[in-house]
Amino acid sequence: MRGAGAIAALVLLQACAAPHALLLPGEDGHPTGALVVLEENGKEQVLDQPLRSARMARQHVSVRTVGKVKPAYGRLMATLPPPANSYTLYFVEGTTTMLPASRAVLDQIRADVASRPGAEVQVTGHTDTVGSDDDNDRLSVQRATQIMGVLIAEGFPREALSAVGRGEREPAVDTGDNVANAQNRRVEVIVR
Amino acid sequence: MRAHIVFAALAVALASASPAWAEIGRVKSNVGVASVNRGGRVLAVAPGVQLEAGDVLVTGRNGRMGVTFVDGTRFAVGPNSRVTLTTFQFDRTRQTGAFVTSVDRGSLGVVSGRIARSGRDAMRVRTPTSMLGVRGTRFVIEVP
Repeated sequence: MRGAGAIAALVLLQACAAPHALLLPGEDGHPTGALVVLEENGKEQVLDQPLRSARMARQHVSVRTVGKVKPAYGRLMATLPPPANSYTLYFVEGTTTMLPASRAVLDQIRADVASRPGAEVQVTGHTDTVGSDDDNDRLSVQRATQIMGVLIAEGFPREALSAVGRGEREPAVDTGDNVANAQNRRVEVIVR
Repeated sequence: MRAHIVFAALAVALASASPAWAEIGRVKSNVGVASVNRGGRVLAVAPGVQLEAGDVLVTGRNGRMGVTFVDGTRFAVGPNSRVTLTTFQFDRTRQTGAFVTSVDRGSLGVVSGRIARSGRDAMRVRTPTSMLGVRGTRFVIEVP
């Protein structure tokens, strides 16, 4: 009798012991994404609604919607670092002289960095659509590296900084190809 | 002698060039027992510690860790966990790549970033029994 109870408890324990996945609502109004359990037979179990949960035993995946998020998961998500912030700096064309309005933005960046332990500052260069993709990739990383130098001179720690060139892939304003545009020739500073 | 000097100079050049390429993310917070295992060595963690592909994030009974990656992905590692950063490739210019994480035990909270958006199932999470494709964005994996 006691043996049967122990076996029942063991079975129950194994039932609980399978890995779980839980899809949460998107962050701060962002849409909920999707999580897909890819099974060996090529089948997919799609979780695409908030609080859909998959229990993934070795041979069997079961999906259900949970009523609420466990407190332990709430504590877990509270451990996440805050989302990155993005700032845009504008310079006198062809120079590393910051426009006066960007000075205030630089102060915001400084405060943001100070509030994040282990902060990183990624300087991302963007171009307009004049010229070839390759030239714009080169130009954007040159620009980002130049501005990284400006930030080092402004007292930002070297080891927190990195330079990335995005070329013309992410325009601020959609212009079509080969259009000069001052708003697209910009440097974005991502603090994370 | 000259060969040695050339070699030393090359080694210095490589060593100073490699961190920028090798770095995939950084630890942003840690509490309790938490460490990074790299090639069998146990590294102490603190905010700002750089992570590389292949690193294993390990926490004890009361341990937790917050991590960000260069593509904007964010991780929360819960207590009693072991999470391996199996594959991380990211083209910073094109912002495309591949990211495979193994949750060997414990719990992992995720907000996905650019890699997950760069292609179908470009970001994957493995558990001892399953493989998941990440199509965005916030989720929890628990491996008891």
